[in-house]
Amino acid sequence: MPNLLVCYKWTLDEQDIKINPADLSLDSSRAKGKISDFDRMALEEAAQIVEKQGGAVDALSYGTPAVKQSLKDVLSRGPNKVYYIADASAEIADGAVTAKVLAAAARKLGGYDLILVGEGSSDAFNQQTGPRLAALLGLPCVSFVAKMTLEGNTLTATRKLADCTEQVTVTTPAVVQVLSEINKPRIPSMKQVLGASKKPSGEIKLADLGLSPQELAPKAVRKSVKGFVMSRKNVIYKESNAEANVQKLVASLAAEGLR
Amino acid sequence: MSYALTEEQLLIGQSARDFAKECLDPIAAELDHSAVYPAEMVKKLAKYDLLSLFLAGEYGGAEAGFVAFVEALEALARSSAAVANIVLNHSIAAWAIEHWGSPEQKQKYLGDLATGEKLGALAFYENGPLPGVGSDALVAKKQEEGWVLNGVKAYVRNAGVAGVYVVLATTDPESQGKALTAFLVDAAATGLKVGEAKETMGLRGCPVAELSFENVILAESAVLGSLDAGTKLAAETLAVYSLGEAALTVGIGQAALEHAAAYSKTRVQFGRPISALHAIQTMLAETATDTHVARIALRDAAQLFEEGKPFAVEAAMVKQFLARFGSKMLLDTCQVEGGFGYSEFMPLPRLFRDIAGTTLLEAPAEFPDKTIAAALLA
Repeated sequence: MPNLLVCYKWTLDEQDIKINPADLSLDSSRAKGKISDFDRMALEEAAQIVEKQGGAVDALSYGTPAVKQSLKDVLSRGPNKVYYIADASAEIADGAVTAKVLAAAARKLGGYDLILVGEGSSDAFNQQTGPRLAALLGLPCVSFVAKMTLEGNTLTATRKLADCTEQVTVTTPAVVQVLSEINKPRIPSMKQVLGASKKPSGEIKLADLGLSPQELAPKAVRKSVKGFVMSRKNVIYKESNAEANVQKLVASLAAEGLR
Repeated sequence: MSYALTEEQLLIGQSARDFAKECLDPIAAELDHSAVYPAEMVKKLAKYDLLSLFLAGEYGGAEAGFVAFVEALEALARSSAAVANIVLNHSIAAWAIEHWGSPEQKQKYLGDLATGEKLGALAFYENGPLPGVGSDALVAKKQEEGWVLNGVKAYVRNAGVAGVYVVLATTDPESQGKALTAFLVDAAATGLKVGEAKETMGLRGCPVAELSFENVILAESAVLGSLDAGTKLAAETLAVYSLGEAALTVGIGQAALEHAAAYSKTRVQFGRPISALHAIQTMLAETATDTHVARIALRDAAQLFEEGKPFAVEAAMVKQFLARFGSKMLLDTCQVEGGFGYSEFMPLPRLFRDIAGTTLLEAPAEFPDKTIAAALLA
């Protein structure tokens, strides 16, 4: 029976983030946390596999100390156990650092047939965790997976690419990066929510992962984040002749480069 | 006392909200138009344990507590107060059985109520001024073995879809409503008839009808609680009910607030969104304040109840506050949306009619005043 690991990110709910109109800075002081949207599909896919053929699912996350808020939420969605690395370094970690930390933790835990991740995080959406994790662990990576089945140690997946779909088979262990369309994550029932507190969680200390300060130093450094607000030109054509208004509108759109 | 919710309570509120957005948002408007009882939705509610939130685990309940229950109710009511009203009436009937029932009664009913196999309903009201008073008052007459019931119960929510009714009947028609006893009556009882469904202004889809009893024979074991202790049972049950009802009102107010705030940002008048107008901001700010204050007070009362402490005064304060400000929330948000908001293709008219149901039906304005004043002046 398969032994699965799902990596997830605890992000801020973007709906709660306000944009300051004066300087476009982001105010996340009242934003609640959530499991990154796409990672919910990875959790759901793992839960479905285990429901069909048995096995076990663990979850793993690297985040700031706020990641502890995610434990019951993630456990209500199927995993038997959750491991987490709560460290302030996650605040500035880039895709490479995140993958190194997760890979070191996955190696330490060991024995997984499949490692599932979402296609990208719902905040940064760098889409790097899956491929980097596979490279670091020396495993095949199946990315952009829209459909998958696992039989024994053979994973059959449908990859959805820009203009075609591709069927692949991979011998496990492997890393799978799932697309948002792969499934519709279930809403945990109330008993599943309450049952989460009875499931175990384990903290992995960053210091115990054997990563050097150099490995934990991000090479991609975020300098600033600003909101994007679409400004309107508020142009109104007021000619009494409708045809003239249309001509002006068309000319204006053409001047903007719209052909 | 603390108003902070536990992680589980927050997650239950969030899961109930996710359920409501996915399952109730798509049906809420049509349910309001058709007023057809949403049987399939009730099955779904049961699947997600939303019919058994605070019931004990030994009966299949989730044992989430009452605070979690009001959080979930608010979350459901933000999408469909009618569905939340079905859950409320069912749950409080189940609570009455769990609280006052004999071990045999609990064993007989609570399992089915937890799974949704049976719905529960409260049948307290009558057409007369008080239960037990009036020409068609429900009278329970003692037989050699058991009871025989004759009369009518009015305005029963979940009527016709419930499997068991918590019924208030007088054992002495001359007592002017003082000798009241609660009975558990199976929907299948011979002689029990459900009247025609009442067309209601709001909360449409939660069925309302009269129950008529014609020589309904009950075993002695159908008495819930003690003989002639029905007045106390009904008062306590309605105090608990009022907390759930307040959760519905807060949920409806929150839904109206969110809709009006979003609308005000897109509706352009005088060359700018109406959200820039001070008068609009004032109405939205007052509605936000009212819902927030009511929610905090409700959590406090629910927490007291969950801890087994006296809560009736705090529940009455919530009821009084919402009797005053509940409909104002809708008046203000409707005013923000103007003519569009007044149109039936927008959600505010439904919310307006629903909030009338949650603030007017069980909460006559003088009732909470009396409870609060009595405690204050004792």
